[in-house]
Amino acid sequence: MQLFLQRVIDGLTNGSAYALVAVALVLIFKATTLINFAQGEQAMLGAFFALQLWMWGVPMWGAVIISMILSALLAALIERTLIRPFDPSDHLPLVIVTLGLFLGINALAGLIWRFDPWRFPELFPSGVAFSIGGANVTWYAVCTVLSAIVILGSLQLLLSRTKIGLAFRAVSSNLESSQLVGIRVGPTLQFGWALAAAVGTLGASIYVANPVLSIEPTVMLTVLVFAASAAALGGLDSLWGALAGGLGIGFIQSLLVQYAPFIPTELSLLTAVVVLLVVLFFRPAGFFGTAAVERV
Amino acid sequence: MTTVRPAEPVLEAKGLKASYGPIQVIHGIDFVVNQGEVVVILGANGAGKTTTLRAISGMIDTGGSVKLNGEEIVGKNSADVVRRGVAHVPQGRGTFPELTVEENLRVGAYVAPKSANLEEDMQYWYDQYPVLYERREQTAGSLSGGEQQMLAVSRALMSHPKLLLLDEPSLGLAPLIVEGLFEQFAKLNKERGMTLLVVEQNAHLALGIANRGYVLESGEIAISGEASELMNNDAIRKAYLGV
Amino acid sequence: MAARIITAGSTEHRNYKLIVGGLGVLAFILFAFAYIDTASLEIAGNKYNLSIIRVNKAIAFAIAILGLQVIVGYTGQLALGQSFFFGMGAYITAWLVADHSWPYLLTLIVVVPACFIVGMILGIPALRVKGLYLALITLGLAAVFPSLVKLDALSDYTNGAGGKSVSESKLIPPGWLGGGVDAPRGTISNLDRFAEFLQTFPVVGGFFGDGPLSSREEERMWKLILLTLMLVACCWLVSNLIQSRPGRAMRAVRDNETGAAVSGINLASTKTLAFGVASALGGVGGTAYVMEVGIASPDDFAQVIAILFIVGLVVGGVGTISGAIVGAFVIVFVPDWSSSTQELPIVPERWLQGPTGSLILGAGLILLTFVLPGGIVAAYRRLKARFIQIVPGVPTMPSMAAAAEAAIDTTGVDTPTAQEPTGV
Repeated sequence: MQLFLQRVIDGLTNGSAYALVAVALVLIFKATTLINFAQGEQAMLGAFFALQLWMWGVPMWGAVIISMILSALLAALIERTLIRPFDPSDHLPLVIVTLGLFLGINALAGLIWRFDPWRFPELFPSGVAFSIGGANVTWYAVCTVLSAIVILGSLQLLLSRTKIGLAFRAVSSNLESSQLVGIRVGPTLQFGWALAAAVGTLGASIYVANPVLSIEPTVMLTVLVFAASAAALGGLDSLWGALAGGLGIGFIQSLLVQYAPFIPTELSLLTAVVVLLVVLFFRPAGFFGTAAVERV
Repeated sequence: MTTVRPAEPVLEAKGLKASYGPIQVIHGIDFVVNQGEVVVILGANGAGKTTTLRAISGMIDTGGSVKLNGEEIVGKNSADVVRRGVAHVPQGRGTFPELTVEENLRVGAYVAPKSANLEEDMQYWYDQYPVLYERREQTAGSLSGGEQQMLAVSRALMSHPKLLLLDEPSLGLAPLIVEGLFEQFAKLNKERGMTLLVVEQNAHLALGIANRGYVLESGEIAISGEASELMNNDAIRKAYLGV
Repeated sequence: MAARIITAGSTEHRNYKLIVGGLGVLAFILFAFAYIDTASLEIAGNKYNLSIIRVNKAIAFAIAILGLQVIVGYTGQLALGQSFFFGMGAYITAWLVADHSWPYLLTLIVVVPACFIVGMILGIPALRVKGLYLALITLGLAAVFPSLVKLDALSDYTNGAGGKSVSESKLIPPGWLGGGVDAPRGTISNLDRFAEFLQTFPVVGGFFGDGPLSSREEERMWKLILLTLMLVACCWLVSNLIQSRPGRAMRAVRDNETGAAVSGINLASTKTLAFGVASALGGVGGTAYVMEVGIASPDDFAQVIAILFIVGLVVGGVGTISGAIVGAFVIVFVPDWSSSTQELPIVPERWLQGPTGSLILGAGLILLTFVLPGGIVAAYRRLKARFIQIVPGVPTMPSMAAAAEAAIDTTGVDTPTAQEPTGV
């Protein structure tokens, strides 16, 4: 029981980090039905910005916030120059551009910071917050889960209470009509990209701030797969679905590693892909989504 | 507000051309919509009625000239045209299905003038269509066709436009609901002085509320005149009124 | 200058094809002998390797990218996880050769059907989901492959993280060509004779080395010949497939899925076939890869390889057969040469050490999507059309069908008419 609880807690912790990257994917997918394959790499780059700023002496949370802004600006630039020129309904060029970004950003980070693991500053207090049924809950776990909930809540508020948020949802809902009510679609989508990058950067920073992990340019490769299947599980267009999906994936991963010894740790990635396959095959709209998956 | 006549043109199209990629659909048409008028564009399927409205709103490749209150709007993008006071209710309603009724109205006021009072405007439309008030927390996608059309019209008017473009408002709606809608359009025109440009297949209904009309055929204007003249025109009676 | 116009099917066209083909074969032979071992190019103090090892690798990649052409280029399905099948083919070959002493080429009788079937099965989701969802699933599969072969349960076959080595098994040229297995040291083989013949040429003779070939050189040469033949065979098969009835169905699915369906094309079977063929080609590419490198190791089949294949697909030219080959050379030589570049004016040294090649490829991929969506092959064709244009002949009654085909071809579908026989 104690072990089970420990596993659940670990799963929830990882899952919250996946959820934040998944939310970034969802934000862009909602608005453009595009899956940004470079999302994980953008987030990784953002986390490195934060690390670099911190090493230059910026207080760690200040570093994270500045890097979120930098990532958002970069994403806005990417949207304007590399994404907007293409017809949104023609997927191949857009997939190619995001894969090019994937490759390019990964290489750029590798050139700047080398492929070595770096210690990331601890964003949350260290040590155990409390114990439950013999299982230790670290401050990191508590703060990660709380952060995910707080961020999703703020996003929810932003999207439903602000003018730009409403415009973003309008564009997601009906592109043509949003032009007809005077919304400038380009800048609105650009806002979505910026927002997604900021959230992704925060997610990556929190993920690599895990005391048992470190940051390196390859760190988000697998996280993106987990995040993508979390997003799919949640329905790809639902914010809270992404959180539920992220927690679900983290949970499944954690339990399988513990209780299915024939599945080695490495294969937790496979579970994510299998979940992705099963969900898209049997329930393409996920469990919270509304999007009709393109069918034949 | 009272109706202002004699008219000054709100919208003046000269040699308006429009094309979808390489295919030209509108071949240089002239028409005028005066302040406080209801003008109807009639025509068969594929005559270019919807395209004309889309050209005005800057949604497709457009040539020639369209002046809105004297200002050239050809070549401007949709958002800019809307900001200059054109509200367009597209064919098939064009509501935001994932947004609630209330959010739809709020989005409608996206480019409303600063002087507009959002809450008051919303209340006005809730009073006009109490069913929208009842369903204000529901998503637009869950409304019936007629309710969606009411919402679409209300939403368009939330921006305080100078000109309202209506594209086939009767499409797919039950006759009774259509009648109610057209009554509302007439009321809008009379009571609020709203200028309307309506594209409609149901010529009888449309001419009933219109001051003037144009008949489009294959992207060109075939006939134009006062609504009453058109009503009595034999060719139109045969082709569009089914008598 | 006005372009020279050649009528398809005329004597002139036949001569043109013969000349181009002949030049290609000649260039191939000269290349093989000139760069047999460690030939290199020195530019501005940097040494660039041209060796056959890299060419062979490029050929293996070309076969895999050819598979992507079938599924992405011709059928329009975003199945992007080709590294999965590339790895699968490589591991099957490595296992059969190392543990069961099969000859390399014989392993294809297992690799092809195995990859074909697995590809078809994994393609089933694509019958229900398409577009980006398919891209997501297939890239996920590509990400999983390395951890799959590292599984303990499979380590008897795959040898875990260390990789399955077949290095003790050699590809030995047959007796009539090379020294053969039993040939004593110092035997002069036909390959040696030819090399020495080339060395006798004035001026250029020096390019072709000195004296007879070592057994390692002969082996490399033999590999190059085998791999080239495999590539040519695959190109030929794909070009025939594309022109055939199922191939036309694939193109129809790509251009307008609904239109294809209402024209009586069975979407499910067409897509499934395309998946099968694409995966089988990925497997053959993997076999070719193991023939060259002698080991199948997990990280050679990571997700990034799948992305590199896509780079090759796009850079070469989506929906062209020759694009697969051009693209493969780009993805092999760009990273290789960029890591060989130790010094460049202006550019700081630290930017040259590390994944500079990937950065160039990533940036190039994006740039190309903007300036040259058809890839290098499209650019070449545009250039060529300024000098030589091949036009369909005046149709006579019985060949109306052929003329119709030709008319289709000029509208952008890849034509194998001027196919490079060497593939290089």
